[in-house]
Amino acid sequence: MSPEYIAAVINSTLRMTTPILFAALGSAVCSRIGVFNIALEGQMLIASFFAVVANYFTGSPFISVVAGVASAMVISLVVGILQVKYKAADMVVGTAINLFTGGLTSFLLFVIFGIKGTLNDPKLVPMERFNLPLINKIPFVGTIFDSLTFLDYFAYIMAILIFIYLFKTVAGFRALSVGINKEATESLGTKAERIQIGMVVFSGFLCGLGGVVLSIGQVTLFTENMTSGRGFMAMAAASLGMSHPLGCIAASLFFGFAQAFGNVLQTTGVKSQLTMMVPYVATIIALVIFAVKEKMKKKAH
Amino acid sequence: MLLEMKNITKVYGSLVANDNINLTLNKGEILAVVGENGAGKSTLMKILYGLEKPTGGEIIIDGEKQNFKSPHDAMHHGIGMVQQHFMLFDTFTVAENIVYGKEPKKGSLFFNRNKAVEIVKELSEKYGLEIDPTLKVNECPVGLQQRVEILKVLYQDADIIIFDEPSAVLTPQEVSELIKTMKNLAAMGKSLIIVTHKLQEVMDVSDRVMIMRSGKFVKEMPTSETSIEEMSFLMVGRRIIDKEVKEQATTGKVLDIENLVLHGEGGKNVLDGLSMNVEAGEIVGIAGVSGNGQSELIECITGLKPFDGGEVRLLETDIKGKSVGQIREAGCACIPEDRYLYGCASKATLVETSIMAHYEKSELSSHGLLKDKAVKSFTQDLIDRYDVRTSGLSQKAGELSGGNIQKLIVAREIEQNSPLLIAAEPTRGVDIGAIEFIHNKLLEKRAKGDAVLLISSELSEIMTLSDRIYVIYEGKIAGEFRRGHVTEEQLGLLMMGGKADGSKEN
Amino acid sequence: MEAKKTNYFVNALKTIWDGIKQPVVATFLGLIVGAIVILIANISPDINVGILEVYAELFKGAFGSGYYIMASLTRATPIIFCAMATAFAWRAGYINIGVEGQMIVGALVATCIAVYMPGPGIVVILVSLLAGIVAGGLYALLAAWLNLNFGASLVIITLMMNYVANYFASYMVSFPIKDNTVTGITAQSMEIPADARLPRLVTGNTIHFGFILAILVTLFLLFIVKKTIFGYESKMSGLNPFFAIYGGVKRAKVMFLTMFLSGAVGALAGGVEVLGLKYRYIDNMLASGNYAWTGLQAALIANLNPVGMFFTSIFLAGLQQGGAALQRKVDLPLEISTIIQCSITLFVSVKFTWNLIKKKKMQKAIAEGGNK
Repeated sequence: MSPEYIAAVINSTLRMTTPILFAALGSAVCSRIGVFNIALEGQMLIASFFAVVANYFTGSPFISVVAGVASAMVISLVVGILQVKYKAADMVVGTAINLFTGGLTSFLLFVIFGIKGTLNDPKLVPMERFNLPLINKIPFVGTIFDSLTFLDYFAYIMAILIFIYLFKTVAGFRALSVGINKEATESLGTKAERIQIGMVVFSGFLCGLGGVVLSIGQVTLFTENMTSGRGFMAMAAASLGMSHPLGCIAASLFFGFAQAFGNVLQTTGVKSQLTMMVPYVATIIALVIFAVKEKMKKKAH
Repeated sequence: MLLEMKNITKVYGSLVANDNINLTLNKGEILAVVGENGAGKSTLMKILYGLEKPTGGEIIIDGEKQNFKSPHDAMHHGIGMVQQHFMLFDTFTVAENIVYGKEPKKGSLFFNRNKAVEIVKELSEKYGLEIDPTLKVNECPVGLQQRVEILKVLYQDADIIIFDEPSAVLTPQEVSELIKTMKNLAAMGKSLIIVTHKLQEVMDVSDRVMIMRSGKFVKEMPTSETSIEEMSFLMVGRRIIDKEVKEQATTGKVLDIENLVLHGEGGKNVLDGLSMNVEAGEIVGIAGVSGNGQSELIECITGLKPFDGGEVRLLETDIKGKSVGQIREAGCACIPEDRYLYGCASKATLVETSIMAHYEKSELSSHGLLKDKAVKSFTQDLIDRYDVRTSGLSQKAGELSGGNIQKLIVAREIEQNSPLLIAAEPTRGVDIGAIEFIHNKLLEKRAKGDAVLLISSELSEIMTLSDRIYVIYEGKIAGEFRRGHVTEEQLGLLMMGGKADGSKEN
Repeated sequence: MEAKKTNYFVNALKTIWDGIKQPVVATFLGLIVGAIVILIANISPDINVGILEVYAELFKGAFGSGYYIMASLTRATPIIFCAMATAFAWRAGYINIGVEGQMIVGALVATCIAVYMPGPGIVVILVSLLAGIVAGGLYALLAAWLNLNFGASLVIITLMMNYVANYFASYMVSFPIKDNTVTGITAQSMEIPADARLPRLVTGNTIHFGFILAILVTLFLLFIVKKTIFGYESKMSGLNPFFAIYGGVKRAKVMFLTMFLSGAVGALAGGVEVLGLKYRYIDNMLASGNYAWTGLQAALIANLNPVGMFFTSIFLAGLQQGGAALQRKVDLPLEISTIIQCSITLFVSVKFTWNLIKKKKMQKAIAEGGNK
């Protein structure tokens, strides 16, 4: 296994991590303000779809990003209003929205393009992939950062911005308070519901970016249900990362790596159906190990 | 006159919580509002604080009529409330909690946490309320948490401060600190209203006292012109005759605890070699300030928590390692401290609530199947005999008032007919009629020849009902007395760690 | 006397209406959402359908004739099982989202045994269904065990286990137990011998014995919930686990038994679908049908009431069946059913919690007033 090969695997990891990191950040901010949002899957999927639709008709990756993110934010607004304002049960809303977007995207795929399954048209214009000017000359490091899109970097910037917002600003402080004791915030004059709905819509923004990078970032196509549980994996990542932006980065990289590793296994002859299982099994194992560690920490106290 | 509440009326459906109440408050004065549970005093304060709107009447501050839409509104007009259930963010620090809402900023976006710490230090000095601003709230004992609430109110420049049942959660030492604080605040020009039913504190701290009963105003006078007996009489409407409990012989040990040890955090033991016993035919009371191991003692006896050392015998059975179900079988029933946490499920029906721990009996079930008619008549029987006010068997437990669900829980546990009954805070938050009822039921059980272990933070309850009293302090027994052989003062001293000879234990 | 009788009758009607008015109104609103989507679809040049035409076809394909009704019941069979499985765990406080995985495990195990085990038909059927049930139950139990002993989130673990089960089954059916005698892109197992199949109930129709089993399972669950100690203990564990522990309920025992039963019923859904309808395991057959998710929605719409869930499952199955028939006739994708179904679920979720909040506020006021 040459160093270049390892660098390629790391590069692959980075690409796989991006959508999960965006969604994990979305999950984390929702948890922090006390809303359990399991519609992340749907928020990502609809963004993937509308990014491709916009791309087909305008050929502009930029407009595709905007379209994708906007659609995700609309969905997340519905989630926010139902769960926060009308206090609808989170499992009901989340699973209904996930199924709904799955059905809607497949439906529109046929209505707009007359296609079932996958839309893969040469007309589609991928997001620009670039290399960092000086870095790409360095042997090992250059391969790591080979051909990444702007969003691959932006995810980490976003994580840092969210960190600063939550832990350094007054607005972020108030937002955190809503998740700790909503009743108290309302009696102290904070508009808790507004903050909650706002954060849920923001999670839509983040998941939108995640979905967009999935369909026009590394590949340029849309497949029915292409998110394949990444939204749920992101929930696990957020949980592992203690709903902390920096923790989410670490946890998401882990899941990104699990996916890349699965691909590596495939090249060594293991059947694809089995390698596809790797990230899901990894998630379960990671959650269990993490929970055990938490328990032992508590005991030592 | 700084504040006037005129003709305040508040109606909930068919219930009149406040009926034409008038209240006045002067600057620098401490007013006590007293009444039993259900008198309407908390409702009155909620109206003042903007949490509720009055059905009728008006609030006048400094001559101007007010209409508060929210607590935030009330705060703007200088009214602050230190509530019974704290509104704190437990993972935030003391400073963060105090400056919440008016946070000092760096620029216009960033939270200046260092400045917040400074501000709190200044406030703390100004009002003589010592506190460490960098502690997390969940690391603070209850008395300190209340201090945070007080500082919060002072930071918002409140001139009128309402205290709702402030001493309910404090140790006697913390209570005397609080009284000092309140007098100091009044001396600095703040006006205080204290809502309470602890009459001794009313005598110790207030300038005037207003008595309410069943939603109505009863009387108002300077504290110096009244007494505990008079206030008590006015609160309840009749003289409370001290219960006369007949002596009776006991017949053998039911509960025997020797050197019980339970490890705690940081190497300190929560239960530290505790030894005590309860015999059949007696009520044993454990007096102690909340937090000295009482809750854990109950958990160890009932099997909810495994203990680390010592022996606990229930009749002939050694209960170490036994499950909750097995211990109940061995002869232990328990009226839990927190009725909503352990005692019931708010969405369960009354039938489901009352058959818990009874359902395996042959009258109520057979071969794993419940007998429908039997469980219904069992429940109805409990409701009739224990005076539980309900609207029907299918009503949910959470829909009953606190006193009524407590009566149902008491009924359920007494009907276990177990040799040992543990009663933890059996009359907390319960109206006076129900209190008397429950006390009588406990005495009945004693008369039957069973053992009752009573744990309560109400000393008067302990002293009235118990044949023997143990004092618990820091996980150990600090003293044991027979009925009539100890005074409230002696008990209070031991409860705070003092020694029977007057010296203080370090 | 007459006035009293009509009064009683009117009151009874009122109570029934109160009970079903939310799902009815939600259904109506869901159909409106569907109508909007149909209108949007018409923007495409290849699609030209009227709203009423679509709904008529939808209804016809669902319940429009004896044949179609029975087809809907066939489709409802796995959904009923999944609804029961989900609800049973849910009411005990355990969010089992892994019914899909448990269903797949049950189907896979049942297929393997039915295809390869020799013996008289009735024995093979019994053994394969039983094995499937046990396998599914154990699969659910594994998740419960991980949750109880390690504190890891039951929701996420059961979700992940769905994917694991589906991929594993996909592997099995693409390699070890693949039927190489048939051509086609989707991998599938060998066919189950004729005598190891569940009988059809009506000749010329797909409805099979599994539907009878679904009815029996519903009654069985109804019985457990209303009459048994176990049902009482699991309900109390779900409403307030502390209350249950304090009362002596053995929490671990209740959890494991509940999850096992939940997984077992889910597995039965899969086993019955293979032995009664498809006669083989086809790659992705259970996940693509969304049976588990539909069952979950039926459970939530009907508020975990067994009889309500039974009929809601049939209704949703009819909706899907109608969608499939519609797609054959009018070239409108069958996902229209999913869209309508999910809209109804969302509308139900709002209404039924809104009433709950109104009720809570009133009670709080009365209770507080009484305690002050």
